[in-house]
Amino acid sequence: MSRFAQPLTQLIDELSKLPGIGRKSAQRLAFHILRATEQDAFALADAIRDLKAQLHLCSICHNITDVDPCQFCSNPSRNQAIICVVEEPSNIASIERTKHFNGAYHVLHGTLSPLNGIGPDQLRIDSLVERVQAGSLQEVILATNPTVEGEATAGYLLQLLRGTPVRITRIATGIPAGADIEYADEVTMTRAMEGRREL
Amino acid sequence: MTLHQSEAIVLRTWPLRESDLLVSLLTRDLGKVRGVAKAALKSRKRFGGALEPMTYVDAAYAERPRQELVRMDHFEAIASPLALPIDYLRAATLGYYAEVLENVLPDHDPQDAIFRLTLAVLEQSQVGRCWMPVTYFSLWITRLIGWLPETDRCTECGQNFAGEAAYFHGLTDGLSCARHKKPNSSALGVDSLALAQRMLRDSICAMSEEPWTRQSGRDLRRFLVRTLERHTERRLNSAEVFSRMGG
Repeated sequence: MSRFAQPLTQLIDELSKLPGIGRKSAQRLAFHILRATEQDAFALADAIRDLKAQLHLCSICHNITDVDPCQFCSNPSRNQAIICVVEEPSNIASIERTKHFNGAYHVLHGTLSPLNGIGPDQLRIDSLVERVQAGSLQEVILATNPTVEGEATAGYLLQLLRGTPVRITRIATGIPAGADIEYADEVTMTRAMEGRREL
Repeated sequence: MTLHQSEAIVLRTWPLRESDLLVSLLTRDLGKVRGVAKAALKSRKRFGGALEPMTYVDAAYAERPRQELVRMDHFEAIASPLALPIDYLRAATLGYYAEVLENVLPDHDPQDAIFRLTLAVLEQSQVGRCWMPVTYFSLWITRLIGWLPETDRCTECGQNFAGEAAYFHGLTDGLSCARHKKPNSSALGVDSLALAQRMLRDSICAMSEEPWTRQSGRDLRRFLVRTLERHTERRLNSAEVFSRMGG
């Protein structure tokens, strides 16, 4: 027999499915929602419902959006001739925080992962090639993670786009800002030295 | 609690809770172990880039009594696959080594020969030069695990192939001669049989000087992958990439 009333047990069950939320945390959150005002609780429920009902993928860049094309693809003040290729929609937020990139994006929704059986067909690569072949692009920035899978994906895209007149670039890797060189591993240090620039 | 410091090869990682990683590690001293690298996604100080699959590391970890998972404390990379360029085939090759080792090795069973084989093939697996180490690894891991049938004679009649092709079938063990082959068998050419004999005799360094294409030893690789898949009763995802690339 359940320790709580059925609706409360159901909410705890659903919350504990979220990443990073264990049974205890789910119980604490459920009681918080129970104690909240009706307005706040329904606002949370509506936000979750709207998330699934209103969001979809941008038909151009495959970013998650509520309008199509998305805010980056439809914004005339952004340079649509430069696109930054990222693995996941969440990567866009990291790049936008820098306020140093004013181009458009293309979201692959993953990386090539032979171990997990994810090949080029499972990624949004065809539409990237179509965008490049449309002829209005000047530069494609490959901003996949510097992991084995991210590097393999960048290498694959480079092979695919090499024959086109578009400039293909890769984001730099090396020592993070504020880090101590003493603690940098060999690969990171090697890349930092290779990617050095003249001051 | 027992503290260990050992050479190891990272096989795979899986996300666990908010910022932890579940790590599968092939250690030289204890064989395959699994453990949790706490806060590995948040802090890069203890692991850096050393959690990438097939990174050769100096690993510090702690075994806790009555607990299956060890506590991963600190890794220092000795050789990273990221030190050399990576393309799709090299990524698939590294994934293949990790997947095979993960599937065929039991936990806590140290096998130094397999550890040395893995280090040797990792060193040779470079962009544009992956087909030979993949074939060498497949042949030797199958042999070291004890699943490699005789490659010079028919399993049914014991007759030597003597310059003729052998045949294998996905559902049966061993190689057969033309007279005893099963319906829908695949052929293993004379060149590939000779290649297998040479690979069992020579070191990988000696083989590395030879020119290789994706066609070299293709039927031998397929036979070995099928043997591994049949014994583990699992499809090898990364081997699918080899087929798609015509190798």
